[in-house]
Amino acid sequence: MKNKIITRRDFLRGSVATTLAVTMGLSLEIKAEAEVKKKTKVVLIRDADIIDRKGHINPKVIQRMLDKAVTALVGKEDPVKAWKYLVKPHDIVGIKSNVWGPLPTPTEVESTLKRRSIDAGVPEGNIGIDDRGVLKNRIFLNSTALINVRPFRTHHWSGVGGCIKNYIMFASWPPLYHPDSCSDLGAVWKLPIVKDKTRLNVLVMLNPLFHGIGVHHFDSTYTWSYKGILVGTDPVALDAVGLKIFELKRRAYFGEDIPLKPSAKHIAIADIKHKLGTSDLKEIELLKLGWMEEVLI
Amino acid sequence: MAESTEYEMLTLLPNEIHGWKAHGKAKIYDRETIYDYMDGAGEIYLTYGYKGLIVKRYAKASGPEIIVEIFDMGSPEDAFGIFSHGQGRETKSAEIGQDSEYKGGLLCFWKNKFFICIRGERETPQVKKAVLALGRLISKAIEAKGEKPELLKYLPEDELLEKDLRYFHKHEILNYHYFVADKNILHLDEYSKAVLALYKDDKSYLLLVQYQNIELANAALESFMKVYMPDAGQKGVIQTENRKWTAATLHQNFLIIVFDALDKAEASSKIEVVRKRLR
Repeated sequence: MKNKIITRRDFLRGSVATTLAVTMGLSLEIKAEAEVKKKTKVVLIRDADIIDRKGHINPKVIQRMLDKAVTALVGKEDPVKAWKYLVKPHDIVGIKSNVWGPLPTPTEVESTLKRRSIDAGVPEGNIGIDDRGVLKNRIFLNSTALINVRPFRTHHWSGVGGCIKNYIMFASWPPLYHPDSCSDLGAVWKLPIVKDKTRLNVLVMLNPLFHGIGVHHFDSTYTWSYKGILVGTDPVALDAVGLKIFELKRRAYFGEDIPLKPSAKHIAIADIKHKLGTSDLKEIELLKLGWMEEVLI
Repeated sequence: MAESTEYEMLTLLPNEIHGWKAHGKAKIYDRETIYDYMDGAGEIYLTYGYKGLIVKRYAKASGPEIIVEIFDMGSPEDAFGIFSHGQGRETKSAEIGQDSEYKGGLLCFWKNKFFICIRGERETPQVKKAVLALGRLISKAIEAKGEKPELLKYLPEDELLEKDLRYFHKHEILNYHYFVADKNILHLDEYSKAVLALYKDDKSYLLLVQYQNIELANAALESFMKVYMPDAGQKGVIQTENRKWTAATLHQNFLIIVFDALDKAEASSKIEVVRKRLR
């Protein structure tokens, strides 16, 4: 049974979840254990004023949003105290960003994360921001703490590009993780350069791309001003919540359920196979803050 | 990439267009280095006969940058194939090259063995004008046209949705457009040629695959029947869980499969049209 092939007909039967579990060699005991574990906290914060009429991001609002989200996540009232919980003065902090041309990580978000790391006592010289150069970057090579930040978007090869996928640049040969729609991206997080170092994940959903066609993929028709940010310590949970928001947005936009091409199966596989985090929404405590208009979820 | 092809591609690029000037050296990527330019997207090109890519940037003081990408796909069939993989962004052709689409600052077209993408970092009316003009110039510089894949000739034309037509070789691309199975149960590889067509009348899909020989086609059908429709027995046709019909058959080294036909007769009829054309 371990080599069971999943076909379209398994989806039509609605039996694919069971099939996937069996394929991964999971036993029912494992699932039972999962049911009693503590819920993973994810914070969604939105602010109607984050983007001005000219499309510029307001840095003060970004700061306020991230402060509120991080304090809610950590459970401390003061933002600096919350950040001191996440990073220590002796840490070497790599802020793993994303430079994808049409939808990069906003510099305002990067700057805020850097500012708060400094406020928590980390010397500025021990903080780096990078994406494609992480394997040649002294800070990242010596890092003791990582902050993972990127915009959420659909992706032509992995379904979506989110927190899990953002670490692909830590792989010395990224194509190794490309087969089967990048299903094993979760394995990247076991590489020594990143393993157990991530203190915070920030999934930017200010103007996410919820649909795309073709290799170039980006089309501003399919972005919308959601004006939100997801924050948490579990990259799988953040991606799972983001994926649900996309599902709801796509249903609202297209008037029907149009599946992602390809499916973002790497999220469930990061949970079930690689034990990186939680993809089951029932096991995620979603804390919603701020502007609630058309929040979808 | 061969030096002569590299030279040929460089000569397609003008120095200036509507005030945008070529700047910096053109960057060249082959099958090994394509990931340096586009990471995951490189996989798509590699499933086709991609040989190389030249990237050239154009700048203007008062406007966003324009980036030109010229892909040598090795053959006109594969240039059409990679274009078909991404088509459907726009219903109307931009009438550049042998087929084209322009939307949101991005122009894609194919001509002969080349697939070309030209994009402005931000779309403005001036950028659109320059992108389209660049496309026309490059298209004109590619003198000869290429033939589309012969497989397309065997498809029933009635109700076929042109913008949903896909030509490819490997199962990753099939699954992208129509998920069949997580494993390569149709034994598709770089030597197989496949076309997937969607029909407007019943939203059914027709998959036609040409294998290198009859033995390979036989093995693919056997594998498909065993995994996808074991309950069909020898009939080669089955009503699936969505109450639609899937039918599969062979004609020499061609495998013909219809997915999601509204009824059994429609599935058989589409297959019969293909078989007749293959004879």
